[in-house]
Amino acid sequence: MKKSYIVKRILYSVFIFFVVLTLNFFIPRIGVDDPAERYYPPQGNMSDAEYEIIKELTREQYGFDVSTPRQYLNYLSDLFLEGNMGTSFRSGSPAVTDLIIDRLPWTLVLSVSTLLLGLIVGILIGVVAAMKRGRWQDTMLLNASTIMVALPAFFIALVFSFFLGFEAELFPAYTNPDMVSDFSWSLDSLRMVAYNAALPVISMAFGSIIGYAQGTRNAVIAVTGEDFILTARSKGLKPNAIRYKHTLRNAMLPIVTSLGMSISGLIGGQVVIEQIFNWHGMGTLFLEANNTNDYPLMMGIMLLLSAFTIVAILVTDLIYVLLDPRVTVGEKR
Amino acid sequence: MNREQTNENMLAVRNLKVVFPMAHGVIRAVEGVDLDIKKGESVALVGESGCGKSVTSKSLMKLLDTPPALMRVDDITLDGESLKDYSEKKMQDIRGRHMSMIFQDAMTSLNPVMTCGRQIDEMYMRHQGMDKKEARKHTIRALELVGVPEPKSRARNFPHELSGGMRQRVLLAMAFACMPKLIIADEPTTALDVTIQAQVLDVLRDMQRTHGVSLLLITHDLSVVSNIAETVYVMYSGKIVEKAPMKELFRTPYHPYSEGLLKSVPKLSDEGKQFVQIPGSVPHPMKKPSGCYFHPRCPYATEECRQSMPPLEKRGEDRLVRCFHPLKHDAKEAKTA
Repeated sequence: MKKSYIVKRILYSVFIFFVVLTLNFFIPRIGVDDPAERYYPPQGNMSDAEYEIIKELTREQYGFDVSTPRQYLNYLSDLFLEGNMGTSFRSGSPAVTDLIIDRLPWTLVLSVSTLLLGLIVGILIGVVAAMKRGRWQDTMLLNASTIMVALPAFFIALVFSFFLGFEAELFPAYTNPDMVSDFSWSLDSLRMVAYNAALPVISMAFGSIIGYAQGTRNAVIAVTGEDFILTARSKGLKPNAIRYKHTLRNAMLPIVTSLGMSISGLIGGQVVIEQIFNWHGMGTLFLEANNTNDYPLMMGIMLLLSAFTIVAILVTDLIYVLLDPRVTVGEKR
Repeated sequence: MNREQTNENMLAVRNLKVVFPMAHGVIRAVEGVDLDIKKGESVALVGESGCGKSVTSKSLMKLLDTPPALMRVDDITLDGESLKDYSEKKMQDIRGRHMSMIFQDAMTSLNPVMTCGRQIDEMYMRHQGMDKKEARKHTIRALELVGVPEPKSRARNFPHELSGGMRQRVLLAMAFACMPKLIIADEPTTALDVTIQAQVLDVLRDMQRTHGVSLLLITHDLSVVSNIAETVYVMYSGKIVEKAPMKELFRTPYHPYSEGLLKSVPKLSDEGKQFVQIPGSVPHPMKKPSGCYFHPRCPYATEECRQSMPPLEKRGEDRLVRCFHPLKHDAKEAKTA
């Protein structure tokens, strides 16, 4: 029963991926008459015949010289056989895959540390607030959440960048480009990454911590009111056994859901935050692609984002099966 | 159930009071309740919803959350041991070990993400210091005792994989796991359908009698009472209004409220007759009437009843009643079957 559920979920995810892949391929092609003109706008000192030749060459280079269905098949075979997501319109015609591989780790540095910080600190704060319900610890969390709703991460980032970066000079307000160009797996290099990542991570972690704390607090309080907690107490179990084996285990369910949602955001990068700190990540890459009408690059990033989201949702669902034995029953009925 | 044993009290509660201070006033949920349960005896506490039965049962195990609730009691003794001044920590050793509880809705009373067996194992591991393996052996035996077929594989099931009756049996097995001195069953069969109710009650009664465990049964269902209880306390709006041996109460209720409760049980022979009910409803716990709390609903109420609360008085052997005008029963006049 469990196995069939897992297989079903995986097949479903693959199907969704193909739908996304197809839409991702065709949507940019709607309304664009000649991609070669996009890539190579007509120049004043060029005769029509010369321009035709240049366009012809461009089409050939980017594979636009065949019919759209044919292009689709080529795209599929390139993607699955060679992992080739196309060629960027940038000068030097770099492969989209290479561009993404260059940026992805840097975005993950930011997003994974933000997520871990938010998850660990947030859950701890949430559990404490739930235990001290109505006391000052709880009230403080409530006030903090209210303030955080009104304070977007980019605002915090600007404030930090200005006061901690420019004024106090505690951390770099602006990423040092050497961090990327001189990177090696040495202690010094890693320390430099941590030093440069400090401000962006802290600015994003605020919202993340408060979000998980509030979620955990509410889930724990909801579970504490459940009948089975009273049963556990009537069995004479020690408070810690009740808290960890009964309350938290059940309170984790909604947190896993929101965790799955945030995992899908891990590689998208925080476009604005990365921009503020000039971080060498996916967010800035996407912005560059957008500003230069670099369709192959945008398609590549979108595809990767979708794939990651689909995988994140799949993993969340599968973790749910492990955590909540009731999930498979819904499938059976 | 030896005669010489039954003289001793397993549980004695004196003057239990529970109040909930609220923003708009004070809810007096339980107002000076005395309870006596002999060793091996099964006692029922009967009353409508909202009369304070469940609060009483939870406060006996000190399970009420005591910021909202306030509990005062002159004394609670369990098998001669006074629990009155026991700390939460000491109560944790009593709960489950010497006193355990069966709740109404087994679906919500069992942890949905833990196997049933594991939830019973916890009792043995906590109170008898067993390891997992040994505890599981005892769990399987306990499940067998309450009539769960294939206890070994049932123990590995999650609560949602069992039927309602089986789940309730799991709760029974859990409550009886350490063979406590007293079991409090709070509406143990209300969530079940009638045929399953009868089965579960049989198991509860058999277990209680064979192992000589004292039982406090909280219920509003008089058919359950007649099935299982030896002594009945009738509770109304936070006070005990009548205490009597079960058979005597059914034959000759003294309090008008007890009479009303008994009359409102439909019988097959009543076909075609109008359903009898007590007019009105339990008073709001913040707006209790003057005098006897039952007087607005009582057909026999007089000025005296409106003025003052009648005391709980002895009337006949083993019987107590809180009424200025207890019902009189001539030899053949008793209407109850």
